[in-house]
Amino acid sequence: MFVAKSIAADHKDLIHDVSYDFHGRRMATCSSDQSVKVWDKSDSGEWHCTASWKTHSGSVWRVTWAHPEFGQVLASCSFDRTAAVWEEIVGESNDKQRGLSHWIKRTTLVDSRTSVTDVKFAPKHMGLVLATCSADGVVRIYEAPDVMNLSQWSLQHEISCKLSCSCISWNPSSSRAHAPMIAVGSDDSNVTYTGKVQIYEYNENTRKYAKAETLMTVTDPVHDIAFAPNLGRSFHVLAIATKDVRIFKLVPLRRESSTSSGPTKFEVQLMAQFDSHNSQVWRVSWNITSTLLASSGDDGCVRLWKANYMDNWKCTGVLRGDGSPVNSSSVSAAGLNAAVPSGAQNSGMGAVSAGRKKTQLMPG
Amino acid sequence: MEKMTSVGTVSGRTMFCLLDAPANAISVCRDATQVVVAGRNIFKIFALEEEGFVERLNLRVGRKPSLNFSCADVMWHQADESLLATAATNGAVVTWNLLRPCRNKQEHLFAEHKRTVNKVCFHPSEAHMLLSGSQDGFMKYFDLRKKESVSTFSGQSESVRDVQFSTKDFFTFAASFENGNVQLWDIRRPDRYERMFTAHTGPVFCCDWHPEDRGWLATGGRDKMVKVWDMTTNRAKEIYCVQTIASVARVKWRPERRWHLATCSMMVDHNIYVWDVRRPYIPFATFEEHKDVATGIVWRNQHDPDVLLSGSKDSTLYQHMFNDATRPEVRANPEGLSFGLFGDLAFAAKESLMAAEGGRKPCPGGDRRYPFFFVKRHDVMERFAQVSSVLSVFESDPDSGTRMDWFIETARRYQLSGRPFGELCDHNAKVAKELNRPQVSTTWTMLRIMYSDTGHPTPPANHNMSKLGNVPLMNSFNLKDMTAALNERNKENRSDNLETNLNNDENEETEGSDGQAEYLFGEAELDDDDLYSMEHDNQAAEEAEFSLPQEAFPLRHEIVEHATAPEPPAEKAESPQASGGEAESVCLTPMESFSLISVSQLLFQPRLPPGFFNAIVKDALAYYAEQGDVQMAVSALVVLGERIRKEVDELTQEHWYMSYIDLLQRFELWNVSNQVIKLSTCSAITCLNQASTTLHINCSNCKRPMSNKGWICDRYVHTHTHTHFDFQVWISMVGIA
Repeated sequence: MFVAKSIAADHKDLIHDVSYDFHGRRMATCSSDQSVKVWDKSDSGEWHCTASWKTHSGSVWRVTWAHPEFGQVLASCSFDRTAAVWEEIVGESNDKQRGLSHWIKRTTLVDSRTSVTDVKFAPKHMGLVLATCSADGVVRIYEAPDVMNLSQWSLQHEISCKLSCSCISWNPSSSRAHAPMIAVGSDDSNVTYTGKVQIYEYNENTRKYAKAETLMTVTDPVHDIAFAPNLGRSFHVLAIATKDVRIFKLVPLRRESSTSSGPTKFEVQLMAQFDSHNSQVWRVSWNITSTLLASSGDDGCVRLWKANYMDNWKCTGVLRGDGSPVNSSSVSAAGLNAAVPSGAQNSGMGAVSAGRKKTQLMPG
Repeated sequence: MEKMTSVGTVSGRTMFCLLDAPANAISVCRDATQVVVAGRNIFKIFALEEEGFVERLNLRVGRKPSLNFSCADVMWHQADESLLATAATNGAVVTWNLLRPCRNKQEHLFAEHKRTVNKVCFHPSEAHMLLSGSQDGFMKYFDLRKKESVSTFSGQSESVRDVQFSTKDFFTFAASFENGNVQLWDIRRPDRYERMFTAHTGPVFCCDWHPEDRGWLATGGRDKMVKVWDMTTNRAKEIYCVQTIASVARVKWRPERRWHLATCSMMVDHNIYVWDVRRPYIPFATFEEHKDVATGIVWRNQHDPDVLLSGSKDSTLYQHMFNDATRPEVRANPEGLSFGLFGDLAFAAKESLMAAEGGRKPCPGGDRRYPFFFVKRHDVMERFAQVSSVLSVFESDPDSGTRMDWFIETARRYQLSGRPFGELCDHNAKVAKELNRPQVSTTWTMLRIMYSDTGHPTPPANHNMSKLGNVPLMNSFNLKDMTAALNERNKENRSDNLETNLNNDENEETEGSDGQAEYLFGEAELDDDDLYSMEHDNQAAEEAEFSLPQEAFPLRHEIVEHATAPEPPAEKAESPQASGGEAESVCLTPMESFSLISVSQLLFQPRLPPGFFNAIVKDALAYYAEQGDVQMAVSALVVLGERIRKEVDELTQEHWYMSYIDLLQRFELWNVSNQVIKLSTCSAITCLNQASTTLHINCSNCKRPMSNKGWICDRYVHTHTHTHFDFQVWISMVGIA
């Protein structure tokens, strides 16, 4: 199903994040060794490191790409309490010949007083907007008013989440019906603080972000959070990496009147919950059509999850960390472990055989 | 805070006491039972009891304490428990004898320095010898039995920030300077330093000799670095370098742990870090209790690696237990995972995780049965020094469903306009089928049936005609696909079963026409027959599925003949202004060629209202969008045009268009994207075009977008301009906001 290619990353310490760019041809990695590396895919499909530079004076937790409309731009965040914005510039031609590119720092965002744990660019339609979250529980939203000037960012919003934040995710929906929304996960290890996932929504009237939802059922530390790409859905899907993998569906409830100023109310459904990793889950990532979710945990495996036509999520693949794929028999076994919450709307469809070819069930 | 409540295994616990004033320095006596805290406005001794700090003595006496009590540094003599030395901010070096009977314990006062004394240091083994380092650039060596310093060392450079006697060599001490230098001196030779080297850029605030590896000197500077120097070689050699996040104020080697040292910073950062110098990037442990910078740190006992004392500017004195420290490494994410656009998956993970995985199967219940810290601690202890990650990219097989090739191919090959509706549907159905997406293919075919045939007054009387009209259609898909698709719908409609729905529709239709067209009663029956015969045909088709070509080419002319009819609506898709009953126009053309019966048919309503399937189709499109195939939703929306446009609310349409356009742009399918924008009937989308203009240039050689300025491709360092202008230039109007 997958062919594993090992890349000699040559980072001197742990790699904490990998991020593809908009077009899927470039990749950035960041590491505790305080550096960020940019990888470009050659025409033959090989990945080459085209830039590697020291970005921070502490572990670099995350790296993320801006929409290419704004240029070749990266943002990174670090233990050193800063987030930084980097831009690739066309250097001298001799640089180019060595296959290297040059990245320069456009800005350093120094507002946090603790480790900045995540950084994410907002969906393009919002403009050049960047959100960071930090270990002291503050989400900050910055905007570059002039998209041509990457060195000027103004702090637009500060959201206090009370709990130490570990990850954020923008709702990618470009629909005008969906207000800008950001989900925040907390890795606070104290399980008595419930609601480790909070969702904030921008309110057009107050011009502030207000809490729209708290997922009270998530009580364990959350390590990663990811909204599924929203390609024309009316609802939102959110994947959470905590001690297990969870997939939530947020269905906006119709508002009685458009004048009401409160945040949107959601009907929250737990679509799936898997503890197949048997350990802490560190990362979740959606594919571009949001039909496939990948998760990775302390077991060193990547697991792939897919919903069938009945919104029934199953494991469709396990990839060993060293690249060796696990054969399909164990895949189905893992799939059986999937805990499907009761209440998922899947009743009365017994007539459809489960053995149907997947290609028939799902586009993609 | 759980940190506060938990009790360490080593005797003692994390505790603190409030001070009257910010501390500048602390020092413990030899038996580690008492600690002295000194600052500008504080000079106190606390006993370290099991329950907490107990104030034992306030050395700051007198109604108006002199500046001699204002301490920059303090040191407790390691042999004589009653002897203390302080460095005063007024330049005095003061010693204190705790055995003095009166309240003022001051013993000696050396007022030799001209500026603040930054550091005092007793000789580790000589009872009466004391060294000081001052802001005035001089170091002085005092014999407490004499009234004046016995020797003065001039660094010949800026202020002295720290002086430390070597633990290895009786006569050697190290001094660090504000200009970045470190000097080694022989106590017997005040005329000239033995050795000097530049350790940091900017001031070197502190230094500390390793307690065991006695040739090692750790230095910390304003350049945020901690460096470990091997002084045993001729030239001081930097063997480790730790980069911290703020200027380093103090550095102290951890007892019994060869590679560990503790640091605190001069500003900004209030935490105390313990580093493993072999892993200089991430602190081994962090003490996060202080609310302001720690100014003095000292390991309580020379042989106990677990208890650290610290005084801070926040006017607290803390005892930190190592077990209560946070471990940044444990919280640090050991993995990175990202899905690429083409369905490939990049995965980076800590090497040890994978090694562990290879060895053992994760047991049910997993590691979670054990206390978190137990497992982790073990891990950390063993593996802390040698960590690295493995980066791999999982690329999906060309034939696996995770790859996005189908999307690109579909986008390229779909036809959305320019041909009659039926042909477009057929073409797209064919494309979907060839790309092994039978469900989508079926949907296209069904769309065609729904909108070109049911709305079509197929003259029921004309059996041949209806046969001819239906057979080619049914040939292009099979019943299995159909039911699959129907089941899909079912699921999505949740409550209502479309299969029965469809049958009901047919029934209703006949019933409905009963009322509306009494004259056609007989024909309605015929129609029923027709329906059954359709199913028959269908079954035949299913059996012959693999033998029959997908396109019924012999019947092609029929389609062509039909095709003249749906043309107007297809055009309408492009020009939303055009209005008019679609059913009417559909109905009209067959009339031309058909018999009188057909004409008489026209007098009555067509069998189905034109928008009969709209609700279902709308749901189907929404379903596709929900399932991540917005391509189908938008393509169908464009092809169906006016037929469905009114059914789907504007916002949803806009959302679909935006999503699809975004996807197309991701895949750099600029032309398709532009076409979709052009064809969209959604005002918001076409409006986008006026917002701004982006010029996307692709290199014709490597097909990569030329994101950089100028006509130079990232890859190839030649400009193409003078060769030929064959860039793929795509000008789109993409709103930035």
